[in-house]
Amino acid sequence: MALSLTVNGDRVTSTADPASPLVDILREELHLTGAKPVCREGFCGACMVLIDGKPAPSCLTPAALVEGCEIQTVEGLATRSQLNRIQAVLEACDAVQCGMCFPGMVVSLTHLLTTRPDATREDIRAALTGNICRCTGYERIIDATLLALAT
Amino acid sequence: MIPGFSVQSAPTEAHNAAASIYVAPSLANALDALSEYGAAGAVFAGGTWIMRSPIRHEPLRAHYVAIGRTAELGAIRIGTDVVEVGAAVTHAALAAALADLSEFDVLAAAAGRSANPAIREMATIGGNLATPDFAAADCVPALLCLDAEIEIAGRDGRERMKLEHFLKIRSTLAPGRLVTQIVVPRSERKTAHARLPLRKAGDYPVAIVSLSVTIDAVGRVQAARIAVGSVEPIARRWERLEAALIGRPLDAEGAARTATELADEFVGRDGVDAPAWYRVSMLPGLVRRAAAAALGA
Repeated sequence: MALSLTVNGDRVTSTADPASPLVDILREELHLTGAKPVCREGFCGACMVLIDGKPAPSCLTPAALVEGCEIQTVEGLATRSQLNRIQAVLEACDAVQCGMCFPGMVVSLTHLLTTRPDATREDIRAALTGNICRCTGYERIIDATLLALAT
Repeated sequence: MIPGFSVQSAPTEAHNAAASIYVAPSLANALDALSEYGAAGAVFAGGTWIMRSPIRHEPLRAHYVAIGRTAELGAIRIGTDVVEVGAAVTHAALAAALADLSEFDVLAAAAGRSANPAIREMATIGGNLATPDFAAADCVPALLCLDAEIEIAGRDGRERMKLEHFLKIRSTLAPGRLVTQIVVPRSERKTAHARLPLRKAGDYPVAIVSLSVTIDAVGRVQAARIAVGSVEPIARRWERLEAALIGRPLDAEGAARTATELADEFVGRDGVDAPAWYRVSMLPGLVRRAAAAALGA
């Protein structure tokens, strides 16, 4: 039985097993490789996507439970080639990191900007608890997020 | 035919995959499906444990019944005498619902600081309780110190039991039965949850102390319930420490000293995150933190 999914606004179908992790469908069937299957335990945040507007680790989300949901990946955050607010500020502040952890951070921060316009530095840190960077850091990203919130 | 929808995989090859995930629209439908699947079926709540089965080299079940969209299991009812929490309530929802009820600080902290924000939006209270192999569950010691009861249902009816008893029998729960709700009594008490992850947040705790005390009119401990999680394979109460605190003013340093004297009753579990001795040695410090937090509540 084919699954019907909405990914970045497009209706797509998948014949994956119902328990297949969403991240595998995104990458292997839809070739959306922004989400990375790194820890496959929900700890690292590299596979973070928005499901019905909320950040969710796509490694722990089975295909069967996203039928009828709106899925947004990092590839779908920009609209008509316009970066969203956090993407634009991260780029302007040169706070862009490599593609391993960074797409997931952008997904989490996109949600933060839409839901917590009053977020403090501590709130931003808390929101990034599930997005682990093992090589660069967070401070420039947090600074840029504060700037995005202020503009 | 059970209403709702079931996603079936194409029967082409035998591999480590679930043949179906049935998304139950109601508790009755979930119970029917579980009963029909028998030993081949299992409950799928938040999925944060089941979806990691491949990493643990555990096969998936053939059939899962997803309960996350059943209204009955997703409700929180705050009454005058008890709070009833549906088994499919997420950690995030539970923490939000209890935020203004200081008597539940221990549970709000356990639910609200576990794992990371995205996992808290998925992981359920029922899943936390019904996963025997998950020793580091935050909500289990929190609910032990709140004297929680667990309701289990099957097609043949419902039964309620103390959480302590449920922890003993949960791994032998018959097919077709599932945790439906957690019932927590309300009372005047001070509670706190102290956990020690290896990082500041986003990690499993290597040791947990959950504390609930009732203080009398002259400032002495009238009743105490203290539970320890993540140190041993199954969370349990620390009854000797509870008894030692009764009749004395609650004092964080004094409680930590007593905990040091009594900690030898714990046999820690070795794990990749921490050795057994380390978990046990953290207990007095966590007791100090929990007592100080309760005094500040």
